[in-house]
Amino acid sequence: MSDLDQAIEQLRGCRLIPESQVRELCYKARELLIEEGNVVSVDAPVTICGDIHGQFHDLMELFRVGGDVPDTNYLFMGDFVDRGFYSLESFLLLLCLKVRYPDRITLIRGNHESRQITTVYGFYDECIRKYGSANVWRYCCEVFDYLALGAIVLGASSTLEPTSNTALSSMPADSELETESLNSRGEVMMSTYRPRQRSSSDASTDSRNISPPRDISAAPGQAAAPSRSGAPGTGASGDGNGSATTSRTGAVLCVHGGLSPLIDSVDKIRLIDRKQEVPHEGAMCDLLWSDPDEIEGWGLSPRGAGFLFGGDIVKQFNHLNGLSLVARAHQLVMEGYKEMFDGGIVTVWSAPNYCYRCGNVAAILELGEDASGGGTVARSNGEYGRSNGIVTDNRVISPGRRYRVFEAAAQDTRGMPAKKPVADYFL
Amino acid sequence: MANGTVIRVLSTLDPSTPHTFINPNKKIHESQDVSTFLTSKAYIDIMTWVLQLNRSMFPLKAADNTIQTWTLKSDAIQYSAPVRQLQRLLSKLEDIIQEVPPDTGPRRFGNISFRRWTEVVESRASDLLNECLPADLLNRGSPDEGATAGTELKSYFLGSWGSGQRLDYGTGHELSFLAFLGGIWKLNGFPKTDPGVEERAIVVGVIHPYLELVRLLIKTYNLEPAGSHGVWGLDDHSFVPYIFGSAQLSPAINDNDLTPEEGSLLNAPDPAGVANAKVVERERQTNLYFSAIGFIYDVKRGPFWEHSPMLFDISGIRAGWGKINKGMIKMYNAEVLSKFPVVQHFPFGSLFSWDRDPNAPLPPSTVHTTSGPQARPVAPDSGHPSVAATRPMPGAWTQAPWAKPGASTQAVPSMGSTAAPWAGARREGVPGSTPSGATRVPSALQDTSSMRPGPIAPTRAPWSAQLQSSPSQDGNADVHTKAPWAK
Repeated sequence: MSDLDQAIEQLRGCRLIPESQVRELCYKARELLIEEGNVVSVDAPVTICGDIHGQFHDLMELFRVGGDVPDTNYLFMGDFVDRGFYSLESFLLLLCLKVRYPDRITLIRGNHESRQITTVYGFYDECIRKYGSANVWRYCCEVFDYLALGAIVLGASSTLEPTSNTALSSMPADSELETESLNSRGEVMMSTYRPRQRSSSDASTDSRNISPPRDISAAPGQAAAPSRSGAPGTGASGDGNGSATTSRTGAVLCVHGGLSPLIDSVDKIRLIDRKQEVPHEGAMCDLLWSDPDEIEGWGLSPRGAGFLFGGDIVKQFNHLNGLSLVARAHQLVMEGYKEMFDGGIVTVWSAPNYCYRCGNVAAILELGEDASGGGTVARSNGEYGRSNGIVTDNRVISPGRRYRVFEAAAQDTRGMPAKKPVADYFL
Repeated sequence: MANGTVIRVLSTLDPSTPHTFINPNKKIHESQDVSTFLTSKAYIDIMTWVLQLNRSMFPLKAADNTIQTWTLKSDAIQYSAPVRQLQRLLSKLEDIIQEVPPDTGPRRFGNISFRRWTEVVESRASDLLNECLPADLLNRGSPDEGATAGTELKSYFLGSWGSGQRLDYGTGHELSFLAFLGGIWKLNGFPKTDPGVEERAIVVGVIHPYLELVRLLIKTYNLEPAGSHGVWGLDDHSFVPYIFGSAQLSPAINDNDLTPEEGSLLNAPDPAGVANAKVVERERQTNLYFSAIGFIYDVKRGPFWEHSPMLFDISGIRAGWGKINKGMIKMYNAEVLSKFPVVQHFPFGSLFSWDRDPNAPLPPSTVHTTSGPQARPVAPDSGHPSVAATRPMPGAWTQAPWAKPGASTQAVPSMGSTAAPWAGARREGVPGSTPSGATRVPSALQDTSSMRPGPIAPTRAPWSAQLQSSPSQDGNADVHTKAPWAK
């Protein structure tokens, strides 16, 4: 067993690795991350995750629900640290997995992956407390500077294969499954359908919520053995029934916060010199800090950094860049995920019962691989559909989206620490 | 009395001497100003007031060696008329909650109706204060020049309830309420009594109900912690119940004894009891420390040691509640009064004055208060990003602030030296965990009608002390869109 595998094993058990090993890990991670662009290209299938905030046991629950690395490909949209008790264990495990399986896991930067924020919101305190000095905090902050700012998911399937027969039987004629929400037992809680996509020209964004949220676990014969379609992370597999879909599934931009008034194309993100502390203003700051809101245009953010942006901004940005969806994190959503602006943007939140008290559930988003073959994937280099500034009719179809919703991990497995270090004030 | 030093009591204004009141305003604009604050008269007065209240909560040993404790249900605490009036004031504020039920709309974390609650309180503040405080106290000063005693008190009163804009509450708001009460004390609004008698009535009869009201507000409107070190803070919202509550369980003293620095009251609950739900349920009825712990149990799910590791660590202290009390005071000084995000919006007038305390040492030239929002990001190799270590601690003074000869009524918690009791708080460069943070006095933010609250404590940029202008609304990316705080 290599040192790295051993470190992974240890961290999975929620036990920290020695400072020297952290240093080495961070060095290797930086070597790896420096090679990545500001916007990492990721091929579907992939499972997209939001904020973790040091909730280690819930991260383990996430892997249980979504499948383990490297069986499932993961894309984490930042905010690994701060607020929770286990920022170190969580971030170091993810970093180990990144170094061990670089093509299987993508980490992008959140606004909490910053020196200034971590000194205010807890990660610094945690490093001092657990390692007795700021060294490990410094190593981690150096890694933060190299994390990518975003990712583009390519080759996602436009359709979902229904998870259960019940969902299939309730599917309206001439329609296809667009989104599905599953609980942590793999039971379908909600499905939405849209008219079957025949070609890219008559694609419609209409989606009807045919079946309202319900717990099908009560259905006869369903309770004992919840079904799930294939391996997690590949669950949203391509349309396998041989129909002649030639849909053009738009790419998905993943970023921690949102859009920036300084960024009108994905290519502009690529021009940023990202290897620095998160600045107080500017494009890089906005990508990590902004929030979508029910406004028109741009608005002032109550956070004091980044901006609020409305549905018109998202629509225009997606259109100009051939995107079908922006996936982002950054905001607590009680239901774990929230689609806005006709499905143009989704917030994914992966920290259940946030801060031990919010009572929210968490979610991850699975995008399946388009099995209908390559060649129809919209490259998102910012050139698409922009030649003359006129809206073309080449509308892109959003990918089929499977959300897995989960609750906070059970607490009974966590042992109480043996001794209580005495805080300095009380010596 | 040990070496002639005396505990200081917050001095009161001479009613026969003219006094100029000042409309309180913000003085702490950047993190460096915190060092100036720490040499101000206001700082000395706040710390004096906290220590004065703290001292009063230690159990009292009578001449016949019987011990009188000061539990939350103690019949031995007599409430004066002003204390009862303040209780009325608090219950009127509680009634406003009935008028402004939480919004049932889309669930966000902080409930938008709290904004309405603060607006109602603000609109009625003058009337409420007129009803509950004597007119001659409020009207001192010359209204012609704009400021009266009431002007100053109202400012602290309004700062005590959390931020309607941000839907949060933290120790900065708690501090404002302490200043409100301290201001009334300075204006002779409380009767003169034997040492500690009125003070403990204030703690048990006013501060405890205040904390209960705040907890009700937090639960009703889901108020977020104002600034948060996550699990690494002492408590999401409060600090003073841990000070006064540990005093309640410390060894009994008589009026001439030093304030104990270790040991516990006979039969006091073991500090480890905080991790035991049954003990907490029992003790929260009578003790301020456990009432605060009990509230954590009410709102959090998960292992106590995990969501509240600081309090869990403190529960392992073997040297008793006296030790915990001393540590809490040190910690309050360092993590509340010395932290820019907490004190930045504290307004200064004549009662709590920005003027330099004549006994304060000159601030050293090399002060690094880098934990404040004005600070540049810390360079990767620049060592500890904070300041607790380099900031001059009051203990370095030649004389404890309350130890001025002649200022005294109460005896003497000498430390055996002239150092302040929290003077041991020099630490090895750790910023520590702040239980609170970016507290805003409501007036500090402008139009927020378009603002929406984020999720629980939507992370704020620590440098975003002020929002000054709107970004370009036209969405033209070529426009030079500077962030509003950029000069």
